[in-house]
Amino acid sequence: MSAELEFEKLVKLYYRDLYRFGLSLTGSEADACDLTQETFYVWANKRDQIKNPAKVKSWLFTTLHRQFLQTRRHRTHFKHEPIDDASPDLPHVATDCVDRVDAQTLLTFLAQLDENHRAPLVLYYLEDLSYNEIAETLAVPLGTVQSRIGRAKVKLLQLLNEANATK
Amino acid sequence: MLYRGSIDDSDPQFHAQLEYAKGDPELGQWLQEQTERYDTIRAKLRGIEPPPGLSERIVRRRPIPFSRDWSRLVQLAAAILICATVTALLMKWSERRYRLVAGAQEILVTGEVLDMTCYIAYNLSGPNHAECARICIRKGSPAGIKAQDEKVYLLTGEPGQSINAELAEYAAQVVTIKGKKSVRDGFAQLQVEEIRKF
Repeated sequence: MSAELEFEKLVKLYYRDLYRFGLSLTGSEADACDLTQETFYVWANKRDQIKNPAKVKSWLFTTLHRQFLQTRRHRTHFKHEPIDDASPDLPHVATDCVDRVDAQTLLTFLAQLDENHRAPLVLYYLEDLSYNEIAETLAVPLGTVQSRIGRAKVKLLQLLNEANATK
Repeated sequence: MLYRGSIDDSDPQFHAQLEYAKGDPELGQWLQEQTERYDTIRAKLRGIEPPPGLSERIVRRRPIPFSRDWSRLVQLAAAILICATVTALLMKWSERRYRLVAGAQEILVTGEVLDMTCYIAYNLSGPNHAECARICIRKGSPAGIKAQDEKVYLLTGEPGQSINAELAEYAAQVVTIKGKKSVRDGFAQLQVEEIRKF
């Protein structure tokens, strides 16, 4: 397969997933588009270095996350709420509470999490990646990823509860 | 708490808890609610669509990287190496040749101009052989000079220049030649600089 066709096929396959991940990280449609585009261009320049084709997906997510970390130093879009290290139990959330919020509201809630917790939580919800793959993608230990997902999930459900209570 | 449903079924860390939940209806119910909630959030997030035309824009602006064809690079490196080796050998050969003449001793030799072919092959020289020697030297046969001490030198011009036409005029005559003497493989040669009729 020619490099051009391979590139096109890869874009068709993953651009949605990467865009959603980028959007969840940045909260900005334009920034998500830029991150997605830049990720594919990095792949185009380094494709020879990726030995295992099965790892392409996690490589793309890793690259997008790194691009995001590089650009975030210059920008602060969201006020981040710190998450306690202690991992509390999951709050009770009414079943229809989640049904009532739309995707945009969910993105707003995700944006309120600090990025160390947001990235693993987004991968947890969005992608069919195992915990090992999420850890590999974000270059953090497995235990750290799981505890961050746990705490971020509690925080997200709390935000959903609060939103539900105010309605 | 982290179990997502079918995605995590193959993850061994959940096996024990899932087995336990099967025997506890209340826990099983809670687990089902959790996975349904997970599915709902996931579906909402996955429902987000990128702006139209994003994939086309990415493909259209695709960078064209420099292709690293290693076999071509190896061929190129081999060609460069061969060229460099040949150039080095030629330079060494040229330098050696230059040194041979540059380091040559300048001498004066007085003696008879010979047609080397006739002299070496048939021992022909002297006035009786003058006409034959003139013709042969003019036609390009190697010329030489037999010194008074019986030593014979091959006469040559500057590299790439023949002096046969000039030497042919002195065939079988005694002359004094000023030139640079050098020896290779036992054969002496004299690179002619000046010819004086004796």
